[in-house]
Amino acid sequence: MRTYELMFVVDPRVSDEDVVTMTQEYKNMISAGGSTVTAEENWGRRKLAYTIDKLNEGKYVLFYVSSETGKTALPEVEHRMRQNDKILRYLTVRTDEDLKRAARRQPAPGTAPASPSEEPPVGADIGSDEEEV
Amino acid sequence: MGRAKKVFFRRRKVCKFCADKIDYIDYKDIKLLQQFIPERSKILPRRISGTCANHQRPLQQAIKRARHLALIPFTTD
Repeated sequence: MRTYELMFVVDPRVSDEDVVTMTQEYKNMISAGGSTVTAEENWGRRKLAYTIDKLNEGKYVLFYVSSETGKTALPEVEHRMRQNDKILRYLTVRTDEDLKRAARRQPAPGTAPASPSEEPPVGADIGSDEEEV
Repeated sequence: MGRAKKVFFRRRKVCKFCADKIDYIDYKDIKLLQQFIPERSKILPRRISGTCANHQRPLQQAIKRARHLALIPFTTD
């Protein structure tokens, strides 16, 4: 299963209702493409770190997308976003691989207490041997 | 020439991500990223921050993603 995050910045002059209809449109595209929008975050109006097209603010929307088959409509969605000049920025990130790697590393501290309990006797033996010699 | 012995202790730098056990560096976590972008908004080099190579790489990636979305600046002028 693949998971993605899709974040985009909308022109602040677009009204909130229009942003909602826009996001709904993209969500429909994504679900029509065989993947699901698992969560959606609306950050609302936010100050931009630098001006884009002479604008200082933007409305941020974030999608969490997951796809069982690995097939998504995300390329089409990106294509539409590129053409939509109300969208200042967009970014799609595939997250499943990095999250899985992080999850694999996370249990390590849990298993770590078990392995040192096996190892110290060995290390202690070596240490005691050296001391005796 | 009575030189003082050069005994000075430099604080050993520890990778923040290893210490805090942060494995997934999120580009949306601006507070975290901001600790690695000083005044001029450049990415803080490893030799200064002490971040290990395995974490500097995703950190750099996350900062660049955040920059693209105008969450953090490219420069300060």
